[in-house]
Amino acid sequence: MLDKILNSKIWATLFKGYGFLFLGFLYLPLGLIFVYSFNANSINMAIWTEFTFDWYLTIFGGASSQSSFDAAFTESPDRIFEVVKHSVIVALSASTVSTVIGTATAIALARYHFVGKRFYQALLVLPMIVPDIVLGIALLIFFVGAGFKLSLLTIIIGHTTFLSSYVFVVVSARLAGMDTSLEQASADLGAGPITTFRRVTLPQIMPGVVGGFLLAFIISLDDVVITYFIAGVGSQTLPLFILAMMRRGLRPQINALAVLLLLFTFVIAAIGLYLRSRKS
Amino acid sequence: MTSSDTILKRKRRSLILLLAPFTVMLSVFFLVPLGIMMVYSFLEPGLYGGVEWNWYPYNYGRIIGWPLNDYEEFEPIYLKIFLNSLQIAIMTVIGTFVICYPAAFWVSRMQGAKKNLALFMITLPFFANLLVRIYAWLLLLRPTGFFNTVLQSAGLIIEPLDLLFTNFSVIIGMVYILTPFMFLPIYANVEKLDYSMVRASQDLGANPLQTFRRVILPLTAPGIIGGSVIVFIPALGNFIVPSFLGGSKVQMTGNLIERSFLQSRDWPFGAALALLIMASVVVLVVFQLSRQAKAEARGVS
Amino acid sequence: MSFLKIASAHKAYKTPEGGLIHALDDVSLDVRNNEFLTLLGPSGCGKTTLLKCIAGFEDIDSGEISFEEQSLKGVPAHRRPFNTVFQSYALFPHLSIANNVGYGLDVTGVAKGERNKRVEEALELVGLAGFGSREPKQLSGGQQQRVALARSLVLKPRVLLLDEPLSALDRKMRENMQIELKNLQHSVGITFVFVTHDQEEALAMSDRIAVVANGKVQQLAAPTEIYDEPANEFVANFVGTSNIFSGKVVAKDGALLTIETANQRQVLATSDRFGRGDHVELVLRPEHLKLAPSGNGIPESCIDGTVEASVFVGSDLHLHVDVGKGRTAIVHHRHNRGDDGERIEAGTSVKLYYSPNAAHLIKAIGR
Repeated sequence: MLDKILNSKIWATLFKGYGFLFLGFLYLPLGLIFVYSFNANSINMAIWTEFTFDWYLTIFGGASSQSSFDAAFTESPDRIFEVVKHSVIVALSASTVSTVIGTATAIALARYHFVGKRFYQALLVLPMIVPDIVLGIALLIFFVGAGFKLSLLTIIIGHTTFLSSYVFVVVSARLAGMDTSLEQASADLGAGPITTFRRVTLPQIMPGVVGGFLLAFIISLDDVVITYFIAGVGSQTLPLFILAMMRRGLRPQINALAVLLLLFTFVIAAIGLYLRSRKS
Repeated sequence: MTSSDTILKRKRRSLILLLAPFTVMLSVFFLVPLGIMMVYSFLEPGLYGGVEWNWYPYNYGRIIGWPLNDYEEFEPIYLKIFLNSLQIAIMTVIGTFVICYPAAFWVSRMQGAKKNLALFMITLPFFANLLVRIYAWLLLLRPTGFFNTVLQSAGLIIEPLDLLFTNFSVIIGMVYILTPFMFLPIYANVEKLDYSMVRASQDLGANPLQTFRRVILPLTAPGIIGGSVIVFIPALGNFIVPSFLGGSKVQMTGNLIERSFLQSRDWPFGAALALLIMASVVVLVVFQLSRQAKAEARGVS
Repeated sequence: MSFLKIASAHKAYKTPEGGLIHALDDVSLDVRNNEFLTLLGPSGCGKTTLLKCIAGFEDIDSGEISFEEQSLKGVPAHRRPFNTVFQSYALFPHLSIANNVGYGLDVTGVAKGERNKRVEEALELVGLAGFGSREPKQLSGGQQQRVALARSLVLKPRVLLLDEPLSALDRKMRENMQIELKNLQHSVGITFVFVTHDQEEALAMSDRIAVVANGKVQQLAAPTEIYDEPANEFVANFVGTSNIFSGKVVAKDGALLTIETANQRQVLATSDRFGRGDHVELVLRPEHLKLAPSGNGIPESCIDGTVEASVFVGSDLHLHVDVGKGRTAIVHHRHNRGDDGERIEAGTSVKLYYSPNAAHLIKAIGR
């Protein structure tokens, strides 16, 4: 009676209880950062003293009511703006380029037959499978050996390489669900290949393309490991900045910064997931 | 437009045009770098970083201890760290599996909008920044962290517990960041589990435990194995989690690689370690692909 | 001693909209030992629910299911001496044919030697000897069907429950399997409870048929009785095609009744259950309505009509005949080779007649 058991009240309650524990495991640690980010206690975050916005204000250069001891730990707002700017430049360029490349490749593989297609497909997802650290050092050796100066450009190139695979997978899934007779109908009605792509194929796969773009954007924005190896002195990104802050010690400013980053990525991810789940 | 030949040609031209960018990029910025890394792992490290172009198998010799020259020494610590990394990765796989398997059943029995919401909630943390998620566990586990403070104020302990810098804390961090990777493949499999199989098993006299072991588990095995592979790979090479939650006490191969590239500047040695990880990954992926091919041939997916 | 007995079983489901569906509404049924009993009804009538309750996959809300005088309340599916052949066959895809058939023996701890012997016997019984090492996906639908049968029969159940097992097969295969199933039931001597929505299948195979609709057993009888003497309008319409005329008995002469229908037509029927003044429904099967020969020798009770449509189905010509006042009668006219000389086309005027013995009367409801 497994299905009867699974349907029974006791098990339904147990499952529900477990489900909430599971969600709790996923969200409570993040919730903790959120709560801490408003705690004025700068000595021990785990002990609540009073509510404050200071940690957020210090990020944006607002006057801190805290001691000069804290001020010493606070990065200058200019620095934060700079690394955020770097991150956005990298994420925008890498995800735009990889969206174009990934989509083109997905269309080629979905609509054409050629020798070695399966092998090629396996090759395309390889960058997602190779451990980050391996890809990071391989790129580092390559860039240094080839005489590239480590900069935002090397980060963009590195990100584009593996993000194209992600976009390829997302768009391919969308194309797989698309009715090919629509394209044939368009051709039959007199549309050329470019018109057909623009007026029929693209609107059909648009949610996949946008979803792929957003996914690529977030992964690029969040990437630590690969960026860690191929970023130069003047090209620190936000995650690398947070990494450096964390290595120096846990300060309440990190809470505030983490919360802002979380909110930003969650909003984008939510849009992306919504677009992907939407049926045409 | 005069014959089918021109249509074929035109098709081929657009195919090449579509495939060219990824192919070029993949070759130049992925395959070539991996190849160079492989070559590097057999080169002599230069005195002040860089490499000498000499055949030099001793980078591997230092790790697994085959005949060495006068300068290099076999250090069992590297192998020990690699084995510990394997152990942590395997424990991470087990941890994520234990957490995700019941959760997949929980979600699969939901209906409509509730189910979509649950899936959304479970997928969302995947997008949270890696560092932020590790940082959260630092806040929870450190001596002045959440757990210790709560336990102390409840009077259960006097001295804070050493929750941080253990294999356990590293595994918890890994499980936390890799849970979505395990959940999604298992869920996909549990979702399409045919309940008439479960009913058939009971009907043929199997008790619930037998049904679980002989029917439900084998039928959801592809998802479990798929999830295990994609959890194991990033867990094995990870260096961020151990560097924060493991400190200097728990080292993984990833930390050794990081150090040889950014501190000791012994790139060939780092490359050799990276290849060790790559080799494990390749073995695993080949195993998974051949298993999949076999399953497809049998008509089970 | 009663064999398998279902006594005033009730079961209701909640719909997502909050309503209640009565899947079983006071169902009582006595299944006899060794019989081939068919539960026949449209989809959603409750027949599959009844089967699941017998198998033990679901509980009834009230009432009782008992086997050899022992209540089955609380007895889980794996402890009931019944086995099920599922609509989808439910063969385990990860096990070979032999391991599928041996599954029930394995989980109940039958010794290896005996297990293998019985698996082979069961496969032989269904004509699949030598197929043991194959995978389910390598077999055709009909073969999978046989494996499912073997898997259940190998456990020597007291009752075999079959949930629309032939619905996934094509027509030819289905007809073959009907005969095979019937023969199999005879040779193994196990009670079969067979669920189907296909009335031809039910008529062809069963010892008895229970027609189920709206969670109730409408009629439980042998196939000929179900067909010739349907208990109510639903059975008359669901099993075979019927022409039904409502009317009132206006004259009685021995067993011969004269019935006046709503449109003032007088028709004849024989019955000793009804008398003058009774409101009745007169059921006439299409094959009992005959076309009166033109010219002399016209039988006395005739119905005039005009052919609306004529459909050739091979053995018969199906005629839709307008008999006035918007009523259409369906006539199955046997087709003989060389008949095309006198084509019966739309617009042709015809006279219909029938033998009063062929008419079946049902008590009209609500009058």
